[in-house]
Amino acid sequence: MNVLFGLFSAMLIGATPILLAAIGGTFTFYAGIFNIAMEGMMLVGAFCAVLGSFFLHSWFLGILCAVAGALVMAGIFVLFAVRLHTDEFLTGIALNLFAVGLTTFLLRDIFHVKGAFTDAGIRAIPAVKLPLIDGIPILGRLLSGYNAIIYVAALVTVLAAFVIFRTRFGLRLRAAGYNAVCLSSSGVPASTIRIWSLIVCAVCCGLAGAYLSLGSVRLFAENMSAGRGWISLTAVILVSGNPWGIAIISLLFGFFDGLTVFLQGSRIPTQFTAMIPYVATLVSLYLYSVRKRRQA
Amino acid sequence: MARDVLIDLRHITKVFPPDTVALSDVSVSFESGEIHALVGENGAGKSTLMKVLYGLERRDAGDIFFRGAKVEFRTPREAISAGIGMVHQEMLLIPEYTVWQNIVLGAEPVRAFGAIDVHRAREAVRQKIEEFQFNLEPDTLVGDISVAARQKVEILKLLYRNVSVLVLDEPTAVLTPQEIPQLFSELERLRDKGHTIIFISHRLDEVLTLSDRVTVMRRGKVVGTSAASDLTKEDLARQMVGREVLFTSQRQPQEPGEMVFRAQGLNCSDTEHRARLHDATIDVRAGEIVGVAGVEGNGQFELVNAIMGLAPMTSGALEVNGKDITRADILARRALISFVSQDRGKMGASINASILEDAVMTHHILDPGFSTWRGLGLNYRRAVVFTEQIRTQFSVSMSGVRDPFRSLSGGNQQKVILGRELLLETPFVLMDQPTRGLDVGSIEYVHQLLLDLRSKNRAVLLISADLDELFTVADRIVVMCQGDIVADLATDTTSREEVGYYMLGGKEAEHAETGS
Amino acid sequence: MRKQVLSGLLGVLAAFVIGALVLLFQGFNPVTTYGALLQYSLFSASGFAATVTRAVPLILTGLSASIAFASGPVNLGQPGQLIMGALGVALVGLFVRLPPVFLIPLCILASLLGGALWSGLAALLKRAFAMDEFIVTLMLNFIADYFALWVITYPLFDPSALSPMTRRISTAAWLPDLGGVNTSVLFMVFAAVVCWLIMSRGRSGYEWRMTGQNSLFARIGGCKVDANYVRVMLVTGALAGLAGGLMVMGGPHRFVKGLGANYAWDGIMIAVVAGSGVSGTFLYGLLFSALQQGAIGMELVTAVPSEFIDVLQAVIVLVVVAGRVSLNMVFDWLATRQKLKESAE
Repeated sequence: MNVLFGLFSAMLIGATPILLAAIGGTFTFYAGIFNIAMEGMMLVGAFCAVLGSFFLHSWFLGILCAVAGALVMAGIFVLFAVRLHTDEFLTGIALNLFAVGLTTFLLRDIFHVKGAFTDAGIRAIPAVKLPLIDGIPILGRLLSGYNAIIYVAALVTVLAAFVIFRTRFGLRLRAAGYNAVCLSSSGVPASTIRIWSLIVCAVCCGLAGAYLSLGSVRLFAENMSAGRGWISLTAVILVSGNPWGIAIISLLFGFFDGLTVFLQGSRIPTQFTAMIPYVATLVSLYLYSVRKRRQA
Repeated sequence: MARDVLIDLRHITKVFPPDTVALSDVSVSFESGEIHALVGENGAGKSTLMKVLYGLERRDAGDIFFRGAKVEFRTPREAISAGIGMVHQEMLLIPEYTVWQNIVLGAEPVRAFGAIDVHRAREAVRQKIEEFQFNLEPDTLVGDISVAARQKVEILKLLYRNVSVLVLDEPTAVLTPQEIPQLFSELERLRDKGHTIIFISHRLDEVLTLSDRVTVMRRGKVVGTSAASDLTKEDLARQMVGREVLFTSQRQPQEPGEMVFRAQGLNCSDTEHRARLHDATIDVRAGEIVGVAGVEGNGQFELVNAIMGLAPMTSGALEVNGKDITRADILARRALISFVSQDRGKMGASINASILEDAVMTHHILDPGFSTWRGLGLNYRRAVVFTEQIRTQFSVSMSGVRDPFRSLSGGNQQKVILGRELLLETPFVLMDQPTRGLDVGSIEYVHQLLLDLRSKNRAVLLISADLDELFTVADRIVVMCQGDIVADLATDTTSREEVGYYMLGGKEAEHAETGS
Repeated sequence: MRKQVLSGLLGVLAAFVIGALVLLFQGFNPVTTYGALLQYSLFSASGFAATVTRAVPLILTGLSASIAFASGPVNLGQPGQLIMGALGVALVGLFVRLPPVFLIPLCILASLLGGALWSGLAALLKRAFAMDEFIVTLMLNFIADYFALWVITYPLFDPSALSPMTRRISTAAWLPDLGGVNTSVLFMVFAAVVCWLIMSRGRSGYEWRMTGQNSLFARIGGCKVDANYVRVMLVTGALAGLAGGLMVMGGPHRFVKGLGANYAWDGIMIAVVAGSGVSGTFLYGLLFSALQQGAIGMELVTAVPSEFIDVLQAVIVLVVVAGRVSLNMVFDWLATRQKLKESAE
């Protein structure tokens, strides 16, 4: 029983950063941007979260810093890809490299360490007990007492589904992806919608980054996003952007990620358990292609 | 009767870098409540002028006056809110959205939290549909309705925004002869309600039937504006082209020879298992041009893919010169088939490559003279000579063979592609809308080339959306409708009306007017 | 071509100016910093030799990415392919006993095969199951990384070492230094020349480039685009594998933990700035190598952390790539002015 509870909570913990980044990515996906900069936005977010939390002594200000950092990245993306019409893929690659370089440099420059920075002065994001559910025996243990960001992520998913499919912004957002010229000639510049989608994406990736560095741990390590931005991109592509689908895929990855932690004590070498999320990504791509072929 | 001047364009100039002057000192005025036709051949600058007015293109010089005041529309949004709306040549709708979603996009009624007020939006659209008697259903997906109905959606989209001026860019180009009168009566109804309509076209009969006044453009300049009642078709044509134009075909009678191409019972389905081509059977003989007519999207794409081996067929047989190529790979087909596609940038060439690189494609495999080092290398020196040969033989105007392909004008790009394909010297030539988007001079050139091929006893299959083109060069016209070949007609004994009737699927023709 | 050179020079210059501003803002002296950077990378014999040696993996992974991008496949798997190439050399070097004349070619072959194996796997998944190579190669990077870590932690672990690494490979497979420059440079230059010949003079290079620009056009033109796809993936994987193999043979002579971690993404970066051209990749590879080599000296002389170079590199990429587009816009604007003047006359 305890194993199951443990695995369940490990799943939620592992799923959260991927879910947040993927929800951000789905906004740019619908807007018709080939955005691969989630990885970099998340990394900068994680770094800025530690920066804010450490110097301003507040986890909340840490989160704000994370979002601000990711927004700066989005600003660069907007400048190059939307304004100067540089190739989106190349801009994304350059931004990801920039994120790695910048955070490594600042880690050294500000905290004078190489590799990783951890300090008791970093305030972590607290866990939250859900008021009503906490009292219910099994449900309370399953769903209550997690890090605040996990609940934010759930909320963001619901909100995203509402915004994309029910609102004016959503109608225009999807129009930007389907036919940008049509949207522009309807009186809404597609570039404006794209900029907004990037802003939403940056906010989500900033939250994901803050969760990485201030969630279950309190540290920043070089390249700590470790390919999660790419996995979330895969999730977006696999379900063609549908937020509910993204939630399911993220939980699946969270499960495998949790499995990694669980198998650490077993006889399987950690190097192999660490591969699991990446192999799972390949397997899901395979299943996707099989399903697609069956439809065809 | 004297009307007020509503829109006044003065001394508009527009340059497309590096060196195309699209508009040069153009001045036109449009009066309120008139149907004003803007005519000229492709590339004369009609669309560009309207895009400048509409805020889609920036002008490099000149002024725009609207209702007597100097205006500056930087975006379509500003033009629309001033009351000017434009229906584009390539339809700007979203097939994944419903009719009402397409219409309200950009001007959606909302409730709290930015949620769309679906009920109000749908009702507003329904009201507009009734007011203007457009036969449309608000909840159908735009992807599921006919081209003529989509055009109505576009017009309605502008009327929903209460525009008083409608600009229509070649609205009849996508319609069948039977659908055109309905559009015209709708436009006349709009004019009688006080709307001003600017109508871009290069079809002279239509222009004279519909419009009150006509402005002719040629090579980025205005030739003149006159009342339609004072003009004849011959006047218009002379003004458009700058010389006398013959409206008769130069096709000489010629007896076709041996059977060269035979497609027997071709069947193709799309990815959703819908049959897109059934039992298509076409024969082409040497020295014969067979035209394929049909509204776009009725199986022509699948026919081309099947012949070229780009998509699998479910059944059927293909034969060129007695050789069975049903299962041959693309390269083997290319030794027998020259192919000019409808889209130069997508299938015909790589626009970012050099002219030379685009010119030697296919030759580089089929002609051993292009290889060096036992097939490992490509003989670039030979390629230069070859490209120069295309330049002289097909009178391409270019500055150097290593210039990027995209630096050529549309007509010259097409000449390079034609040169490449025709120098393959294959018995069978497949042409898919080879004159699409070309100016009149280039179109005449291509038609002459087709007739030359015919006299050289090559077999040509010509797919075209332009009935005039088919009637100019084709010996026979086969008509496609919904994946079927519904008619095989000799050009000399048929008429545009008969072909148009079959394009709409014969007896279903009356049905198409309901727009679903 | 001239535009490429111009936008490249302007871009690099602009990036250096931005870098100087960052330095000023941080309270460092840009002149002494850049001076030290140049001193330790280009203007000293030992620095120059080290720069050239360091360029080997940079240029090879850069060529791998360039040829892939120019030909269509988005092979982002250089990190993994490099590791598998290095692993191939480690295996041959550890277990095969032969004189250098045979062992060195055998090792080179093993590195090519190791890289091609890993990219071939991605190509296979694409061809058989239509799995996008761009995500597959990325995921294979992580998998190769952990796999190599396992190999050097367990089966091939050097018991005398403190951190995961293999024993030294047979000395017969070592590539010697000549005047401070490692002879692996010769293999790299040879590979670069072959790449240039294939892409600019070869028939396959022509077909690959046409496919990369417009695959439908190439397919209709009779090119075997599917077979070419697999070939490009194998060739580019082999190039990245060669980079890994040469690093083992010329450097630490063993597979150590984290080998190549700093180089492989650099290859993609170089391909991106070079616009996927072979000669551009060669030049930018040298530039980035000089920056990375100079960074070490810069940190010694000034207080600027060597990681500053990572930022500078990313800025170069952004500015050069965006500059290429913007410069075209400037040219267009100039041409418009010119035409307007002509038509006014």
